[in-house]
Amino acid sequence: MKRRAILAFTLDHPGVLNKISSLIRKKMYNVDTLTVCRSRIPGVSRMTITLRENDQERVDQVTRQLEKFTEVISVKELDTDHSYWREVAIVKLEIEASVLESFHGRYNFEILEQKSDDIHIVQVAGSTRRIDAFLDEVGQQHVVEIARTGVTAMEK
Amino acid sequence: MTNGTGRRLLSVGDSSAQESDEQRIFMNGKHLLLKALKERKVKFLFGYTGGAIMPVFDEMEKVGQFEFVMARHEQGAAFMAQGLSRASLSTKTPQIGVCMTTSGPGAMNLVTGIADAHMDSVPMLAITGQVATGVIATDAFQESDVVGVMMPICKQTYMPLAAEDVEKTVHEACYVATTGRGGPVVIDLPKDVQNQQVADDYKFDAKTFRPHLPGYFYTPTPERDPVRKAIELINKSERPLIFCGHGVINSNAGELLQKFVEKVNIPVAFTFHGLSAFAADHPMNLGMMGMHGTVEANRAIMEADLLIALGMRFDDRVTGKLDEYAQNADVIHVDIDSSEMHKNVRATVAINADVYRTLHVLMGDPMVTCTPRRRWWDKLNSFREVMKEDLQEEIEVGVGSDNKLLMKGIIHRLSEVTGGKDLIVPDVGQHQMMSARFYNFQTRNSWFASGGAGTMGCSLPMAIGVKLARPKERVWSISGDGGFQMNMQELGTIMEKQIDVKIIVLNNGYLGMVRQWQTFFFDGRYAGTPMKSPDFSLIAAAYGIPYRKVELLDEVEPALKEAMACDGAMILEFICDPAEVILPMIPAGGGFGEMMTRHPNAPEKNQPKQGEAA
Ligand SMILES: Cc1ncc(C[n+]2csc(CCOP(=O)(O)OP(=O)(O)O)c2C)c(N)n1
Ligand SMILES: [Mg+2]
Repeated sequence: MKRRAILAFTLDHPGVLNKISSLIRKKMYNVDTLTVCRSRIPGVSRMTITLRENDQERVDQVTRQLEKFTEVISVKELDTDHSYWREVAIVKLEIEASVLESFHGRYNFEILEQKSDDIHIVQVAGSTRRIDAFLDEVGQQHVVEIARTGVTAMEK
Repeated sequence: MTNGTGRRLLSVGDSSAQESDEQRIFMNGKHLLLKALKERKVKFLFGYTGGAIMPVFDEMEKVGQFEFVMARHEQGAAFMAQGLSRASLSTKTPQIGVCMTTSGPGAMNLVTGIADAHMDSVPMLAITGQVATGVIATDAFQESDVVGVMMPICKQTYMPLAAEDVEKTVHEACYVATTGRGGPVVIDLPKDVQNQQVADDYKFDAKTFRPHLPGYFYTPTPERDPVRKAIELINKSERPLIFCGHGVINSNAGELLQKFVEKVNIPVAFTFHGLSAFAADHPMNLGMMGMHGTVEANRAIMEADLLIALGMRFDDRVTGKLDEYAQNADVIHVDIDSSEMHKNVRATVAINADVYRTLHVLMGDPMVTCTPRRRWWDKLNSFREVMKEDLQEEIEVGVGSDNKLLMKGIIHRLSEVTGGKDLIVPDVGQHQMMSARFYNFQTRNSWFASGGAGTMGCSLPMAIGVKLARPKERVWSISGDGGFQMNMQELGTIMEKQIDVKIIVLNNGYLGMVRQWQTFFFDGRYAGTPMKSPDFSLIAAAYGIPYRKVELLDEVEPALKEAMACDGAMILEFICDPAEVILPMIPAGGGFGEMMTRHPNAPEKNQPKQGEAA
């Protein structure tokens, strides 16, 4: 199913997140990722929601119904062609330093800490697919723990 | 303190020496709540007290001018508030219905009435007491997460956490409830905030207050471009059809719509909530559409090349199977709620605006042409004949199996004796559809029913609110034996407040509407639908309300006239035929082609009439 990113600017009020997530539940979607942060304007939050849906009409309806909430200022669907979708992962890896070395230059990552010879905490940033590729190449068996932020997105 | 508020309070204190003290005492949450309601022209408070709302109740008399109407169950209070909002919107003094309850169970008892108002876009304000802020989220006595429960079933929820926020919250709540697409709004007010004093420098002026709502939009004025496109479609259409929805009633556009259709010669089909926007027997009125709509309205939809939908949302009870719905028609959709556009039916032209203003623009536009559309009218008139004879016969005979009364005959006779001028508040079931179909509405905004939710039990309390809003008009509450018993306790309110509501109970001994489905789709297995009722004459007597039971056709009219002549409330119980069905019927989820116009077990008539469906 096609992955969709919905960008919403909302008032930074209690209950807004509840309303938005309730609507998405009511529409019977499973939220893929949801990120919330402050926007440039004080009192206004910026929310990026990703979910899966093939039918454009249904996505349009979700955006219109989100827009209807009193606290929601604007909503827009962002497509991959005209926007950047990025996330950050923090990964604890059990891997030889020399192996990690070989990833340099190919992935946007940074070693935050080396806990022992073969335990590293690294930070990887990029598109969802890029981070997945990094993890695949490292090998899932080397991953001890992983924390991903979920997608945030911006129009080009 | 600003002059506006100062003056009000002055009149309460008895000497100017006391003035500042009095002011100080009154500057608390409970007082400011009531003061704001008063400024919003609220007169009636429907409700029920309890621990967490006691301070507000205690303050009521001090603020004065409110008429408290005690419901016997909080659900009743919610429906009374609905009735008041709905009936008053077409008067010179529109009022918002307000209901007020305690926390926990009191608030939870409102849920059904609020969900119902939400489905039917009815503005109302629910004020619920809440436990003190210090104990919120500790499972305190009578604590419920009211905001959490109400959020998905109302337009907006508030929980003011300081006395300073109370007044502005009430004003904002009323503004949100009554503008754009109306809806219920909840204010959950913790008990300590009710008693809390505001700071010394607190200032608020209701006259200059404008809520800050950067995310709240509604656009009453139609944009020029879609209107131009709509006019093009109207002018080139051969078989246009207008849909009159609840938005026509809510924007008081009935009269304007009538003028418009008379000018452009376009037939009108009504949604359940559009009924009474203009006279039911107007020549351009095709009656109600949808599951139990008229043959002519539904067939017109199948044949139309253009649908002009005014203030309606293409509910599934209206459309039936969507992929067979109005396949050959362009759709002009006018609605104040932009999220309704393209939701169920794709609009060729979407006009996101107020219905009244849109009609006003269309009315004044010289480009709109009028054509005779003779072939279209011929066709529609032939559809009108399909069931006419059968229905007329049934109404005249007036009785069905075992010589028991037919509901349609009773409603028809009610319509006759009242000249179609009275206010009708049906409950939910067969009797409701019979009322929708066979009352000859002549008064604008005279039909108050639960549509989107279809809540049994709505009628009796809603009729109380309707009567309070329109005291000079006669109000009929029409219930089935099932629904009447769902909020029968509100007879207590009628008794106590001496509210003149004429109460009709159409008693068929069954949950009739469900029984009808069982007859048609469950091989006549009547699971959970037969029902034994109490002796309603004793119930009536217990409340001191006059009562008459009617079993014979000859007694129907005299009984109705007796109720009309009765000074105050009266209960009429009619013993009805459980086998009566409301037709036509489009089975749930079915297409319009599946419209049933005759009882499947009815003996075949000789020749099928021209244009017959099914
Ligand atoms: C609160 C509620 N419960 C259940 C239903 C389902 N329901 C719809 S109509 C109906 C039967 C109503 O029976 P009655 O009030 O006797 O009216 P009748 O159809 O017999 O005229 C039922 C049970 C409902 N609409 N509302
Ligand atoms: Mg019944």
